[in-house]
Amino acid sequence: MSELSAGLIAGITLRTLAVCLPALAAALLIGLPLGIALGRRRRFRARGALVSLVNAGMGAPPVVVGLATALLLWRNGPLGALGLMYTPGAMVLAQIVIALPFVVGITLASVGALDEDWELQVRTLGVPPRWRWWLLLREIRLGLLAAVIAALGGILSEVGAVMMVGGNLEGETRVLTTAILMFTQMGEYEIALGLAAVLLGLTLLLAGLLTAVQQSGRA
Amino acid sequence: MSDRRALSCRGLRVVRPASGFTLEVDALDLQTGEVLAILGPNGAGKSTLLRALAGLEASADGVTRTGEGPVTMVFQRPAAFAGSVAHNVRAALLGRGLERGEVEARVHEALERFGIGGLARRNASSLSGGELRRLALARAFVLRPRALLLDEPFDDLDVAGQAQLSLDLRRAIERTGVAVAMVTHDLRRALLLADRVAVLLAGRLAQVDTRDRVLDHPRSPEVARIVGMSNLVPGRLVVGEDGSRVEVDDQHRIRARGGGRDGACVWAGIRPEDLTVDFGGGGGEGIGKGIVRSVVNDGVAMTVAVEWAGLELQSVLLAGRGPARRLSAGDPVSLSVHPERVHLLARD
Repeated sequence: MSELSAGLIAGITLRTLAVCLPALAAALLIGLPLGIALGRRRRFRARGALVSLVNAGMGAPPVVVGLATALLLWRNGPLGALGLMYTPGAMVLAQIVIALPFVVGITLASVGALDEDWELQVRTLGVPPRWRWWLLLREIRLGLLAAVIAALGGILSEVGAVMMVGGNLEGETRVLTTAILMFTQMGEYEIALGLAAVLLGLTLLLAGLLTAVQQSGRA
Repeated sequence: MSDRRALSCRGLRVVRPASGFTLEVDALDLQTGEVLAILGPNGAGKSTLLRALAGLEASADGVTRTGEGPVTMVFQRPAAFAGSVAHNVRAALLGRGLERGEVEARVHEALERFGIGGLARRNASSLSGGELRRLALARAFVLRPRALLLDEPFDDLDVAGQAQLSLDLRRAIERTGVAVAMVTHDLRRALLLADRVAVLLAGRLAQVDTRDRVLDHPRSPEVARIVGMSNLVPGRLVVGEDGSRVEVDDQHRIRARGGGRDGACVWAGIRPEDLTVDFGGGGGEGIGKGIVRSVVNDGVAMTVAVEWAGLELQSVLLAGRGPARRLSAGDPVSLSVHPERVHLLARD
């Protein structure tokens, strides 16, 4: 592989991470408290509707999410004034929407699977609220791991939505998946395969890393 | 006395609108260093009372905590946190600004106190039921609580496990001076530890007294049944110069020590262990002949049901001793009870 294409691949990889990691962080930041709240409060009026929405979101085609985001960000759309269309910001936004249901859904399920006495136990021990959160996150860390892998796997390998709102602009919104698609269509199989190897390697690396973290926390 | 109170209830009220159940406790005090057993049938509100004392009933008013240290509770099925046994106990001390050395010393002390020091590094999810209960107790004691609330602490343990745990608990209570309220539906488990007994019936305290007073002088037939005074004989009280007696019918009477209004309707309450069955005359005060209906022998105690005056009375004897071990259904026997051991209860 030429030095030129190696540099190209490295640039696209970095841009991919620059989009996916903030999106993942934002999805965790929003989704974790939401999932915990939904999992803890077992009975309130809108719960059923919210849980259905989350479940539907996990199965929603990313292309549709991309279309919805595009409609929002389009010049005449409600958020058109922000001028985000065809920028990395638009891709982050679409990926947050794709990742969020996974984070909320899996967190909700792990909190819901906790013994009902768990919360009472923590309360009767008089553990201060800040530490209750720590204990809860520790308790559901297997679920958290699953949420991170599912969410990251989803947005890292997603192509339809980022293509639609990002536009695959060179040096700006060209990420691994959109680049693989483009180079394959152009017949540049060497670069496409290189990019695909990086994408595959990234997913495997992250899964391995997270598993290692989880294993060490177990001992 | 009042400065030894660890926890008090005044006008405690918990209402469950869904089931229509109401718990009402006018006054109940828990003293430092004592064990109060709360007894009652299922659905009497025992666990609700315990949860109210623990501050887990949002709607409960009327619980006051006095003195130093937290009030904590050990559940019937304790929840273990993910991680090691030591982590579970350490978790109770999170965020309290203690130095690491002190935390470790207290965790170690608590684990040793309940005989699970050797399990410190084990994953809590791999513990047996008995070990988990010990973990939960260590986790509660590490807090140095002022009051400890135990929900069925001996549930699911075999007889040997109950005895060992009650010894460890007794020692821990004596060393720390913690006040303990314990809920159980099993009288014998309650008596393993209790200094005082509270009997709860349908959401109300029917009697609160020292263990021996409740056992020997239950205030009502319902309390009598709960504390194991299972023989309740209806009759009319006759007060004579030579003492009182309960006349059941023309042929059957029981001499009693207590007094009362002559001619009153009463129950004569007799604990099964105070009723003696014998082939011949036997000791105590004879109350007449009966026919054995059934014999149940669990190796430690023998429960004999005897038909007497058209009633079925129960007698409990030590198994494997004396001629009584040969008793079987259909045998004629003499029954006797000491007048001191006959407790009179008003009957409407």
